[in-house]
Amino acid sequence: MPRVSININGRTVEREVEARQLLVDFLRSDLGLTGTHVGCDTSQCGACTVRVDGVAVKSCTMLAVQADGRAIATIEGMTGPDGSLHPLQQAFMDCHGLQCGYCTPGMIMSSACLLEEEPAPDDATIEQALQGNLCRCTGYVNIVEAVRVAAATMRER
Amino acid sequence: MNTSPPEIEHGRFGSGQSVRRIEDPALVTGQGRFVDDCTEPGCTSLVLLRSPMAHARIVSIDASTARALPGVLAIVTGQDLIDAGVGTFPGPAPHFKRPDGEPVSAPPRRAIASDCVRFVGEAVAAVVAETPEVARAARDALLVDFEELPAVSGLDAALAPDAPLVWPGAPGNIAARSSYGDPAEVSRIFARAPHTVAIDVVNQRLAPSPMEPRAVLASFDATSERLTMRLSNQMPSNTRNALAQILGLPKERIRVVVGDVGGGFGMKTNAYPEEVVAAWASMRLGRPVKWVADRTEEFLAAVHGRSLRSRAEVALDATGRVLALRIDTLADIGAHVTPSSLAIPLLIGPWVSTSVYDIAPVDISISAVMTHIAPLGAYRGAGRPESIYIIERLMDAAARRLAMDPAEIRRRNLIAPAQMPYRNAMGQTYDSGRFESLLDQALARSDRQGFDRRLEQSRRAGRLRGRGVTTFLEWTGANVFEERVTVKVSADGFIEIFTATQAMGQGIATSYAQLAVDIFDVPIDRVRIIQGDTDRGEGFGSGGSRSLFTAGSAVREASRQTIEVARGHAADALEVAAGDLQYRGGRFEVAGTDLGMGLFEVAARQPESNLFLESRTKVDGPSWPNGCHVCEVEIDPLTGVVVIDRYHSVNDVGRVINPMIVVGQLDGGAVQGIGQALCEQVVYDGSGQLLTASFLDYAMPRAGIVRRFDTQLDQTTPCLTNPLGVKGVGELGTIGATPVVVSAVLDALERAGLGHRVDALQMPLTSEKIWLALQGELPALPSGATR
Repeated sequence: MPRVSININGRTVEREVEARQLLVDFLRSDLGLTGTHVGCDTSQCGACTVRVDGVAVKSCTMLAVQADGRAIATIEGMTGPDGSLHPLQQAFMDCHGLQCGYCTPGMIMSSACLLEEEPAPDDATIEQALQGNLCRCTGYVNIVEAVRVAAATMRER
Repeated sequence: MNTSPPEIEHGRFGSGQSVRRIEDPALVTGQGRFVDDCTEPGCTSLVLLRSPMAHARIVSIDASTARALPGVLAIVTGQDLIDAGVGTFPGPAPHFKRPDGEPVSAPPRRAIASDCVRFVGEAVAAVVAETPEVARAARDALLVDFEELPAVSGLDAALAPDAPLVWPGAPGNIAARSSYGDPAEVSRIFARAPHTVAIDVVNQRLAPSPMEPRAVLASFDATSERLTMRLSNQMPSNTRNALAQILGLPKERIRVVVGDVGGGFGMKTNAYPEEVVAAWASMRLGRPVKWVADRTEEFLAAVHGRSLRSRAEVALDATGRVLALRIDTLADIGAHVTPSSLAIPLLIGPWVSTSVYDIAPVDISISAVMTHIAPLGAYRGAGRPESIYIIERLMDAAARRLAMDPAEIRRRNLIAPAQMPYRNAMGQTYDSGRFESLLDQALARSDRQGFDRRLEQSRRAGRLRGRGVTTFLEWTGANVFEERVTVKVSADGFIEIFTATQAMGQGIATSYAQLAVDIFDVPIDRVRIIQGDTDRGEGFGSGGSRSLFTAGSAVREASRQTIEVARGHAADALEVAAGDLQYRGGRFEVAGTDLGMGLFEVAARQPESNLFLESRTKVDGPSWPNGCHVCEVEIDPLTGVVVIDRYHSVNDVGRVINPMIVVGQLDGGAVQGIGQALCEQVVYDGSGQLLTASFLDYAMPRAGIVRRFDTQLDQTTPCLTNPLGVKGVGELGTIGATPVVVSAVLDALERAGLGHRVDALQMPLTSEKIWLALQGELPALPSGATR
């Protein structure tokens, strides 16, 4: 089996993986990082979104072997070493940007990518950035607001 | 309420405040526990082979190649389950009747079809293997010889004179028919009324589509001979009971455990075939068995909602007062007759047919039509959105016919507060409601006066504009009003409250915790809400927007009882009269002295260092939340694309425990309703093949579908049937949003010159359909029935 070396949330892991294994299955099954969710099988829902070298990627569209030598960030890595929440995590709670929470990790990872590229996005830009992430509970309005609030917090820091 | 971050009065976390949800810290950090996040040592994987045909006889299944693959542990067929004594799914309530008066008859529904498949996606065989990959490979190696049989898809095909029968017990493919009201009187009124209006109304089939697909982890323990089922489910006790019945086990031998649920929306209220197979396989293999649906399986084999076609008619006097209502509905229930596939269209929906309007008499008939497609079940609102949509389409059509303002025709028919309690034409009693006040508030908030100006602005920009108004109510409670709650106050400083209702994203744990804080007067982090474990208690579960007003009332009552028990213990320990003890801030004190004892200290003095109390509380009846929604849309006539420009609602959900959560339920619910209005639709072709089996084909609302909601809560009309004064809220937004958005789009199209012909348009109002209508391509209106 191919051997991969991947930086996951700042820590390098080396594993043998099946060539056909999807990155999302590697994260969930092999590494136990179950915060990355699977909501569909056609790369539509975005629940599995992680960041690969900073870019938001649906981890169901990528093989684990393709992540070799890359840096992957998942929802588990958003929390600081001291347990402090990332501004996006805090803003999703403060703005009631989640209900069942299943889409939330993907929403947060997509948003984190957006805010690195565009620190002060307007609503239309946020909505555009989240077109690949489905939420069935919130109606999105509070999610968009959470991203806007988090952006403001991050700009102040 | 608006969407800005809610204010919190620091240090207080009782009811009435927008307390941050206690559910959230785990969910935003990736620490949620959904079924697929859990595993057990030695866990195996289950996959199902599903029928590719809508109707076929299973001639043979050749499993030899599949069985020989390394890692395959079992191949399960329908016959295997029959041989093992596994039974059928519970059928419908026997009080439903066929049109010929005979009791309803249901085809036996088995976890795996044994002789005949009746819809695409029905399970034909199952594979259990060491890994999901091996299981899928083995499934693909199964050779099934099907003899394809003629299938019916669509109501017209099913009701054609020579249509193949889905089930011989449903002659003419009609499984059951229910009729209500006074048809003779209604006919007399229609014959002499100044105006009658008739329209066809389609409530298209929808896929509930919670983001977490269904999943099961079944684990049989040979020592205790008990089966633990970890499920994503809204009604753990009922599901456990159904599984026990099907598997032929005493229910005590099954424990259903539910962790985080990634959305339910009614779809996760019943037992499913995959759960039976997983349970049986775990018992047979003596190993844990996990099944996780992929999204295509959810579209194929989870229940769908809505799925009605109605001819709806009103008779009116010259002033717009409705004199009588007639609705004849065909419900496409699919290939199996289940308890909910009859109860929702034939019973629950009709209860709200007359909505907030003072309408009698009525003539309402509903036929449950069988076709070779997936079974019908509960989806957010379950019957009520369908009925409200029908009456609201009628109100709009009548307003157009009589050239009246849509708000005014509604106003003339509203039930007045002085008529409460009001018994509607279906015999349902509304306890409270100030419908006209809500209408007035919503019209004012929506700046009705400014509409003409906005219309002109849109015109100048080359766009159409329309506005819709909807007044409505719903029945909540599932008619199960008693809830059992246990409270355990432990010496370690925590109050643990168990209820058999079930969290699924609606924030119910936070709301219960706030109610407990009201009584116990301790910080909210001292309260732990436990749900989702049938070993800890039984109950109806969560559905029909019932949890807060039933179990919330029970949480408050149980908390009060606990304080009283603790007061007695404290009085004994302090050697004072119980009546002399005041309780405040988690402490009993004798006023004016330093004599006192903390609640947790009382617990520490009990035999097992805790104070345990079990209590049952029953509320008096259903709640009737209601609202008025007003929406304005803009349409680009070149593309037919609809933009929701303004959305205002005023909602009566009685007293509010957590405004942030309630507004979240209303707005999120509204977007689901807008999905039905504008984009969602389950489509089968004429042979029963599902054409919308992925999120590529089934169009869900995405970010930006609504930019801003103005959502008001009118708390001046508390519910009179429960001590909290709260009314259900989970389904309300969905119910109001569908008709109001359709109303606004049709208004824009009417203004664009289409006139009453817009009354023939059906959902979803996609840009394609709107563009075609603007080119003059519309369906025909019912002929002859309107004057």
